[in-house]
Amino acid sequence: MLEFIGPASGLLFTLENIFWINIGVFIGSVFAAIPGLTVILCVILFLPFTYQMTAIPGMMFLLGIYCAGGYGGSVSAILINTPGTPHAAATMMDGHPLSKQGRTKAALKIALYASTFGGIFSALMLLFLGPQVARVAAQLGTAEYFMVCLFGLTIIAGVSGKSMIKGIISACIGLLLSCVGTDPMTGYDRLTFGVGRLYMGLDLAVCLIGLFALVEILAKAELKPDALHLDAKKMEDNGVITKEEYKRMARPVLLSSLIGSLVGIIPGTGASEASWFSYNTAKNMSKHPEEFGHGSVEGIAAAESANNAVTGATLIPLLTLGIPGDGTVAIMLSALMINGLNPGLSLFTSDGDIMYAIMLGLILVNLFMLLQGKFLTKLFAKVVSIPQEILTPIIVIFCFAGAYSVNKNYFDVSVALVFAVIAWVLRKLDMPAVPILLGMVLGNMTETNFRRALLISDGSPSIFFSSIYCIIFLVLIVVAVGAIVRGKLKERQAAQTAGKEH
Amino acid sequence: MKQMIDRVDARLDAWGEALKRREFRFPSDLTAGIVFALVGIAMLLAMPSQVTATGGDVVDGRAFPTLLMTVMLACCAALIGKELFKLARKQPITWKTVNLLVEVKALVILGILLVTYLLSKYTGLFVIGAVFCALGFLAFFRCRKRSYYIITLALAVGIWCAFRFGLGVSF
Repeated sequence: MLEFIGPASGLLFTLENIFWINIGVFIGSVFAAIPGLTVILCVILFLPFTYQMTAIPGMMFLLGIYCAGGYGGSVSAILINTPGTPHAAATMMDGHPLSKQGRTKAALKIALYASTFGGIFSALMLLFLGPQVARVAAQLGTAEYFMVCLFGLTIIAGVSGKSMIKGIISACIGLLLSCVGTDPMTGYDRLTFGVGRLYMGLDLAVCLIGLFALVEILAKAELKPDALHLDAKKMEDNGVITKEEYKRMARPVLLSSLIGSLVGIIPGTGASEASWFSYNTAKNMSKHPEEFGHGSVEGIAAAESANNAVTGATLIPLLTLGIPGDGTVAIMLSALMINGLNPGLSLFTSDGDIMYAIMLGLILVNLFMLLQGKFLTKLFAKVVSIPQEILTPIIVIFCFAGAYSVNKNYFDVSVALVFAVIAWVLRKLDMPAVPILLGMVLGNMTETNFRRALLISDGSPSIFFSSIYCIIFLVLIVVAVGAIVRGKLKERQAAQTAGKEH
Repeated sequence: MKQMIDRVDARLDAWGEALKRREFRFPSDLTAGIVFALVGIAMLLAMPSQVTATGGDVVDGRAFPTLLMTVMLACCAALIGKELFKLARKQPITWKTVNLLVEVKALVILGILLVTYLLSKYTGLFVIGAVFCALGFLAFFRCRKRSYYIITLALAVGIWCAFRFGLGVSF
């Protein structure tokens, strides 16, 4: 590891990288602060920009958005009792009550410090754990890789929506969409239906603009008129956090950072799960559980450190196995691969300087997030009240311009529009969209390994049960499916019981 | 002018109220199962014409998509079976309520998106589409603040300039 730190630092500490980190952190904070705009939407909108960059500045820009998104969501949660991002909901529980007590600045400061600590903790986890996991990943063959893909897809299909069966159907659709275009092994066109432009396949960024961004515009049809205007509260307190409060926060921050990192490593789980789990743990361990829900500093610190601790940890399965921990990092995978960087051990050896630059960069991203948070929080707070009338057309223009700029043609814009309509229909049918994204991202890797493994075994499916790693992943899939089904049954029973009581 | 806008607003409000009351519901899981089963069957039928089979290979380009569609059909069968079983046992099935006002508004938004796309494509000037988009959405939200129009139009032109002159995207 040490041999890469020197060259990696040289690659990282350039004006270009510092510039893109700051731009990413700023955009991520602003997007996440606005209720209704999500981090995934922001990453999708700005992904086409990274196509013109090299690997390090491109990844720094996206990581800036991703990490700052973790903190930005807390701004509106604290100020207007509306989480900017879903994972800021736990922060809202105590953040807004503390703000109502006249301590808005203090609440924002706690959220910022906890987010920074969680982010750096997670970045260090990635730095030390990533290469070790990659070494294990290097021992995997094609059959094992297929099982890894299957494992990732199964978990994400299982946890993404209300129904696991619907999640699997969505994942199949995503995998099928990845088959459109030239066959990676024979070179023949597949599923192009006579549309010449499809021979290159469907561009991920274009499809995502439709699936996740334009569909949100269609969803404005569900918006109530009074939701168009949000007024941010003024920040008039001195923002002082006492020594006693710092002491009380130390343990929940440390524990929540660990929980967030562990949750982040598991594909399919994300910042929301981590922040709620950490919030409950902190409440159970606190000497003042009665303060939770009424402006507890421990509550804010626990939720915020956990949701930012997910950021680095989700990159561990992504960079080592190519399995994205959540939808947002799935998009980052395409930004890496476009620069010829494929997940696995080679990323930590032959491309070690670039990889370590990215991992060290994650620490830098968190430090710049702290700086921007300290000096620009007032601006982020103002952004919360940008009216939807202005925001909506601007997002559409960004989406169209982004879709056009990928291949510089209007065909891609029409593809994005088609995907927006498909996503709208999927919403009506309660079909989750995240497994489609994962299917599209993992499609090529899943199919190539599936076919290669069968070629090696002369068509015998026994190759998928032939090694210890295959069996481990098979057991993991069975256990995960069992746990998900059990969880869903429990949820349903609880809902039925609640329904009967009402 | 103001009176005319008020009259249009009043008429839109009346239509909105009428549409708001009209709701219909459908069995979402059963519908999803049927829709995706049809998609799966259509894809399997289209496979021979859409994917060239390479004779002699143990696994060709058809193997993976065929496997996917088979898994999808199995899931659809499970979904449909589950709902039919519930119906037979007279247990409650999953329903989805759709409000007509929301759907009409979504269609209007889709219309704005389509016109923006067509204007940009056929004039060859993205900025024309961008300006239409800004005006279209401000009208959709029934915005009457002049400052919002100025800000949004300035931003629309600004984004075009950033892509055109900053990133060198010729449109």
